[in-house]
Amino acid sequence: MLPRELVEEVLRAARRRGGSFSELFVEERTSTSIRLDDGKVEELTTGLDRGAGVRVALGTSYGYAFSNRLDRESLLAAAEAASVALTEGQPGTVVDLTEREGAGTNRTERPAGTFPAADKVAWLRELDDAARSLSSEVVQVIGVYGDSLQRRSIANSDGVWVHEDRPRIRLASQVVAAREGNIQTGMFGPAACAGVEFFERFTAKAIGEKAAQRALTMLESIPAPAGEMPVVLAPGMGGVLFHEAVGHPLEADAVDKEASVYRGLVGTRCAGELVNGVDDATIPNGWGSYDFDDEAEPGQRTVLFEDGVLQGFLYDRLRASKEGVGSTGNGRRESYASPPIPRMTNTNILAGVSKADAIIRDTERGVFVTSLGGGQVNPASGDFVFGVSEGFLIERGEVTTPVRGANLIGRAIQVMSAVDAVADDFDTWEGICGKDGQQAPVGSGSPTLRISKITVGGTGA
Amino acid sequence: MPELDDLCRTAVEAAESDEAVEAYAEESRRTEASALRGEVEGLEFAESRGVGVRVIRDGRLGYAWAADPDQDEVREAVRRARENAALAAPDEHNVLPEPADWTPIPELFREESAAIGADDKTRLALALEARAISHDPRVTKIDEAQVGDAVSRVAIASTTGVTAEYGRTDAWCLAVTLAVEGEETQTGFSYRIARGLPELDWEAVADEAVQRGVRMLGAGKPPTARVPVVLDTFAAMSFLGVLAGALSADAVQKGRSLFASLVGEQVGSGLFTLVDDGTNVAGPGAAPFDDEAVPSGRTELFTEGVLNGFLHDTYTAHKGGTVSTGNGKRGYRSPPGVGTSNFYLDAGETPVEELLRDAEGGVLIQDVSGVHSGANPISGEFSVGATGLRIAGGSLGEPLREMTIASTLPEMLTAITGVGDDLRFFSSVGTPSVLIGEMTLAGV
Repeated sequence: MLPRELVEEVLRAARRRGGSFSELFVEERTSTSIRLDDGKVEELTTGLDRGAGVRVALGTSYGYAFSNRLDRESLLAAAEAASVALTEGQPGTVVDLTEREGAGTNRTERPAGTFPAADKVAWLRELDDAARSLSSEVVQVIGVYGDSLQRRSIANSDGVWVHEDRPRIRLASQVVAAREGNIQTGMFGPAACAGVEFFERFTAKAIGEKAAQRALTMLESIPAPAGEMPVVLAPGMGGVLFHEAVGHPLEADAVDKEASVYRGLVGTRCAGELVNGVDDATIPNGWGSYDFDDEAEPGQRTVLFEDGVLQGFLYDRLRASKEGVGSTGNGRRESYASPPIPRMTNTNILAGVSKADAIIRDTERGVFVTSLGGGQVNPASGDFVFGVSEGFLIERGEVTTPVRGANLIGRAIQVMSAVDAVADDFDTWEGICGKDGQQAPVGSGSPTLRISKITVGGTGA
Repeated sequence: MPELDDLCRTAVEAAESDEAVEAYAEESRRTEASALRGEVEGLEFAESRGVGVRVIRDGRLGYAWAADPDQDEVREAVRRARENAALAAPDEHNVLPEPADWTPIPELFREESAAIGADDKTRLALALEARAISHDPRVTKIDEAQVGDAVSRVAIASTTGVTAEYGRTDAWCLAVTLAVEGEETQTGFSYRIARGLPELDWEAVADEAVQRGVRMLGAGKPPTARVPVVLDTFAAMSFLGVLAGALSADAVQKGRSLFASLVGEQVGSGLFTLVDDGTNVAGPGAAPFDDEAVPSGRTELFTEGVLNGFLHDTYTAHKGGTVSTGNGKRGYRSPPGVGTSNFYLDAGETPVEELLRDAEGGVLIQDVSGVHSGANPISGEFSVGATGLRIAGGSLGEPLREMTIASTLPEMLTAITGVGDDLRFFSSVGTPSVLIGEMTLAGV
């Protein structure tokens, strides 16, 4: 996007007071979003975003400044501003840039940007029809379509220069079902770093139907029980829990600040022995996948747990260099407007050997969670909470009545240590994770698994 | 660099004769400094601007935006918005507001604050950390100490003749402490905002972050029970977002609000008065006009528990046959929708100590988590994670964690038996402490 001479000049300007390295992140992003509400296209928005961020680091300290403009004057002004964070020192060097090729993790067959908006509206109509035709109790359907193409170019004073395009596509459905004053909602919104071939995996029809089915199921629900009990998590849901409760405390900034429950525990068992977990940026077209992270380090597969034993943390450059280890390629940023911080990519618990139905049969009384609405964790104490958006009672080894208004609450190490069954199935869930005010698309995945004891918060008996 | 009003004018001039066009432009200059272990952890400068364009043609609405556009790119955004409109459904309620008189609020812009340099902010961040780690032997490190400010401007123009512009300054600081005893770590959070850095009570932020962390050390899990609950200002604030969603006329008109059919009815306790007031200069969300250039107003949503009405932007007002309450909110990247200005629960007269005495045997909740996923704005049911302290003998006792509180919004509002005199704003949302007569608390 920018000529080599200019990139090198900006990197040099940022190091005018020295520092351990300087970096230039340039981005251009086009996006389309369409919202179909009550059968009508309510909103059709196209956006054009563009900017460049300059960072200069010294140890774990950094200065950061960005500009929406990519001309020489604006970029040098950003470099000057970023360098202010450093105290006066000798100017640092900039190694001649060498461009690196990516692995093509998110190769697209049919880029969404080449499809007319009318096609995208048609997908939303298909979703809407599918949800409504399921039952007359479906009273509202919202469909949201979004695609974007982020073109990134990252260079640093170590001479690294990478370019990568990240395509994103998502189709989400939110359905309201009503019966005699009882109103319930259902949601489903898969996503990928891909083009329109995404719909080969999930059709618009299936996305509409799944959300509608969830809302209809919840019409039958009773208030969730409260107290400690076994919980079986359906495929994909254990990944959500793993991301929130375990993944965040494993991010190296929390560890560095001594604000992680896992600090000092590498090599020790802090989860059930059936738990094998990874963070993997290399899954083709995964929602959290990439060739290079947002500081030009190659994305990789990092083993976090092996047979319940903690293997390591998720690093960006600043935290890795402080610990004297290599970055795990987890430095991510929302856009040019923010500096990178350690973030997860696709965080998965790997499949085991049990059969899902056998795990249910083996559970006398508990809750079967088929959809989680998101959650929150305090990495320092390990306390977490999750809303259950679709769940069922397990009674005498059988999945019975749906329950509503439940959440799951616990402490990371205790809950992961209570995982006592892991099935041989697997599914993923795509979400948007918020941290330090930055949003990042993240994938998570898991097989069916059981937590032998966790607190369920509900209003029922 | 073109001025914001020039960019807006360019968009309006690009309108064709049979369409309505509105441009919303904003720019901000934001600086944020953070400290860690006695050093500057980070210093961030952000200068951003952007323009969003609405085109309405035959009742069809299209939108396009661009970051920091030049005049040509603004014209291009008008063209793209026009294309997008062609695919949208016609809706007679897609209208732009007519120009209206608004009163400037000079207090929103602090010249002296806008001139404060980066060095002062890094010094303040360092002082914030130093104070937080010097008070209690159990707090020797922090998770975060951050100080920031922003100078922003907004300009709006449209083919109906609207031209409006204003500027503001904002400042904030936050601290998260780590309180450690043995193997246990607890965090303590505090946050304050002001119009400018000089008015920011950063010492109070440091002290409160220490107190809120230290008092949670040794926390255990309570038995499941129905007990009186005092929500402190931090905890009560978390629920206001859910209430705001359900009080938006948009949610009501689409049948997505539990309050839809309850206007004129006693929904909450007589102690519950809820206000949205963009003209209240004491609140951080004050502005002379909303993001459609409709003058800000004061809307009493609940008066002593009785629901009066809802928050409107121009679209929902036209649809509902009423007038906008000045609650059209947005950034430049999206068209306006119903949002809050200063949204707060009116303060009561009861000192917090008295609320605690009235909640004997109950729990003070100091933090709730998972509200965004654990509360259903349509049914009003919620179940959220909580931490807090047992109330015994009128004061705070044993710390409690790993518990949930669950109820429904109407039940909770009806069960309010005390409202504190300690109204406090967090961003543009404010609340005093609130006593709920009884709630389900789930633990062991």
